[in-house]
Amino acid sequence: MQNNHINMYYEKEFSLPLILIFIIASIITMTVGNVFAAEQASGSRSDLTGLNIEQLMDIEVATVYGASKFEQTVLEAPSSISIVTASDIKQYGYRTLADILKSIRGFYTTYDRNYDYIGIRGFSRPGDYNSRVLLLIDGHRVNDNIYGTASIGTDFILDVDLIERVEIVRGPGSSLYGTNAFFGIINVITRNGRDIKGMEVSGEGASFGTYKGRMTYGNQFKNGLNMLLSASAYDSKGQSLYYKEFDTPDQNNGRTDGCDYDKYKSLFGKISLRDVVVEGAFITRQKGIPTSSWGTQFNESGSKTTDNLGYVDVKYERNFEDKFDVMARFHYNRYKYEGTYVSTPVNKDSALGEWWGGELKLGKTFFEKHRMIFGIEYQDNIKQNQENYFINPDFTAMDDRRTSMNWGVYLQDEFTILENLTLNAGVRHDHYQTFGGTTNPRIALIYNPFDTAFIKLIYGEAFRAPNAFEYYYHDGNVTTKSNKNLSPETIKTYELVYEQYFRNQLRLTASGFYYKIKDLISQQIDPADGLLAFNNVEEVEAKGLEFELGRKWKNGFEGRISYTLQETKNLDTGRLLSNSPKNMGKLNMICPLINKKLSAGLELQYTGAKTTINNNNAGGFLTGNLTLFSKDFYKGIEASASVYNIFDRAYNDPGGPEHVQNKIEQNGRSFRLKITYRF
Amino acid sequence: MFYRLLIFPVFFIVIANPFYINAETLKFDEYEVKAAFIYNFIKFIEWPDELPKNRPVPINLYVLGYDPFGKALGSLQGKQIRGRTINIKRAGSPKGLINCHILFISSSEKQHIPEILRSIKGLNTLTISDTAGFAKKGIIVNFYTEGEKVRFEINLDAAKRANLTISSKLLGLAKIVRDSQSIGEN
Repeated sequence: MQNNHINMYYEKEFSLPLILIFIIASIITMTVGNVFAAEQASGSRSDLTGLNIEQLMDIEVATVYGASKFEQTVLEAPSSISIVTASDIKQYGYRTLADILKSIRGFYTTYDRNYDYIGIRGFSRPGDYNSRVLLLIDGHRVNDNIYGTASIGTDFILDVDLIERVEIVRGPGSSLYGTNAFFGIINVITRNGRDIKGMEVSGEGASFGTYKGRMTYGNQFKNGLNMLLSASAYDSKGQSLYYKEFDTPDQNNGRTDGCDYDKYKSLFGKISLRDVVVEGAFITRQKGIPTSSWGTQFNESGSKTTDNLGYVDVKYERNFEDKFDVMARFHYNRYKYEGTYVSTPVNKDSALGEWWGGELKLGKTFFEKHRMIFGIEYQDNIKQNQENYFINPDFTAMDDRRTSMNWGVYLQDEFTILENLTLNAGVRHDHYQTFGGTTNPRIALIYNPFDTAFIKLIYGEAFRAPNAFEYYYHDGNVTTKSNKNLSPETIKTYELVYEQYFRNQLRLTASGFYYKIKDLISQQIDPADGLLAFNNVEEVEAKGLEFELGRKWKNGFEGRISYTLQETKNLDTGRLLSNSPKNMGKLNMICPLINKKLSAGLELQYTGAKTTINNNNAGGFLTGNLTLFSKDFYKGIEASASVYNIFDRAYNDPGGPEHVQNKIEQNGRSFRLKITYRF
Repeated sequence: MFYRLLIFPVFFIVIANPFYINAETLKFDEYEVKAAFIYNFIKFIEWPDELPKNRPVPINLYVLGYDPFGKALGSLQGKQIRGRTINIKRAGSPKGLINCHILFISSSEKQHIPEILRSIKGLNTLTISDTAGFAKKGIIVNFYTEGEKVRFEINLDAAKRANLTISSKLLGLAKIVRDSQSIGEN
């Protein structure tokens, strides 16, 4: 109770000044913007012809692919979108996709020292491995076919150094992408070989005995062949951690030793020639479990999870004169998970997923006013196997082997009604061998009242198909049973977005949303037999407001500031959801220090108080990260030094029901040094 | 804690302010950027009329179709580069263009590319556009955006046909494309 009291106190102390600060900073940015608008009108105009081509290639004009399946500017997209670029990743010192997402308006992540979890629209459910967000790499779906996992931590399939940009699309996308595109889509676009032109070698060392290395080769040949090959290895010893819940003499007084290790090896390759792109990626990642989750022995380094994910994707894309655009894609994927949970007896939990699929998409513009897209997609799950057994004494609790298939067909029309009014309407029908069919529309009205101001009114529906884990997982009916009668979860969303780009690179976004989720799949006890099973039970409502103001200056200085106010409520119990902060604020700044050679990237993230699964308070916290980034002091060398959690703030993320700990303590202040050499 | 929070707006004001008071922090309009690219291209491209003995002749840049540049291209008018003066002109139709060194073909001309290319055949014209798929149709330089940045592709077959020499430095920065089969025999 004592603890809760303190957390409440922090929460109160934080929110008011924080809101004030956001308002003040916003006003300042606006004022400065206006001064410049005036100055510009008076005729002082910069002469870009003084720049060389390399400098021109560095100037930014925003476009996005993921929201409508064709390139369009961020302003015309039927969603509210954020973009993170390769230069942001370097200048802010991002280590994982989770680091990237944390910096984005309205997003938060939690970490239980085994996996990283996405929070979006105030929604982050225990036991959900990010299956309510669709994760794409160059348009290829990477959510696996057992848990629907979108890995964003060290288990993310791509080294973040290979990212060209990340497009984060808020809101449902099932009308184009089908399952998983429930709360949003994260589309990761990889770098091109021609931007590297040779070798790139990178090495880094960080706190807690962490080392990482990467080697990348990229080139473009005279015949147009473009290629990129990369390999990365990461090894982190991790920390010695203290958990008061295990503070007894026979459990090393609550202290773990050598249990927090984290290792991965990953490969990525992309070859493109003319209209064909062949791409493949693979990762194997091993993480020790220091939290003693699932009732395993405390301070036991043998408890760990290994996740392997790989895919090969062949894509053909072509524009046939003025007739139409074609995209065809064929892919093969494999996912393997193996968990070792040391207790008596030792439990082995594993899953093997294998699937292939194809997609065909046609695009055509009719009468200059209708930009239409039609597509079909097919996925064949040739393996969806789950196994759970005990060693010594040996006992197989579950050996479940499944196959399934699903297909979808979609149509979207971007109809230019008037020069400044566009209707973007789409619908997709999906059919699953397991539960049958579902149809999901999205309709957006995009109005451009003046200049660069856009108002978007969006209504969307989406679904998430129950995954193999939810359908079939059981432990031999000891505590958990399967439920083969699940239906998909559904969501209906209403969103109003206002976006304005001012001529001087000042950008303003304000949005309000109302989401209603039905048939949410949650694990519950069946009163008939006292066994746990997944069921379509809960009904949840989420509503919120978001504001963001950003600006870029020609000298390289840039900043953005955002505030999110949201509330998610379980309509059955009338209670607010756990792990759902009401207030969030973010501030990001890049400040050039010496010409373009040295810059400081600074971020501040405030996450308001959240409740844990048993309704305790995990207090709000403010964290900050600082990165100094330098390039071209010596030709071809980029170096950076980062401090994460600069205030050394002790903060906790709520843990899922598999943990004894209610709250899981996060890292204090830590450091990283990184050098990249290109030749 | 409260004071820590204050650091950042203060930082924002103090550090940021001197920058934007002194620097020319002005907009980068997409077409201003593209105009500057075009200006730069001239440095890296050699036209056959640039024989060493000849007196430098002006470079004529035509815009065909709807002009998306607004005032941006006007700023190049009269500029000198490698001893040659840039002249900006509008072209109503591709017919009768003579001494056209650079032709910007607007996306409004999407339906007419084959005719346009036919009528400037043999003119040693650097064709430029910014519409998806135009490079494969035989336009030499085509702008596109990647991420938030302006990029360009160069159709080497088309450059060869126009008898233009493009420096390897420019080619190195471009995405290289070839003709799509349907116009390969052009």
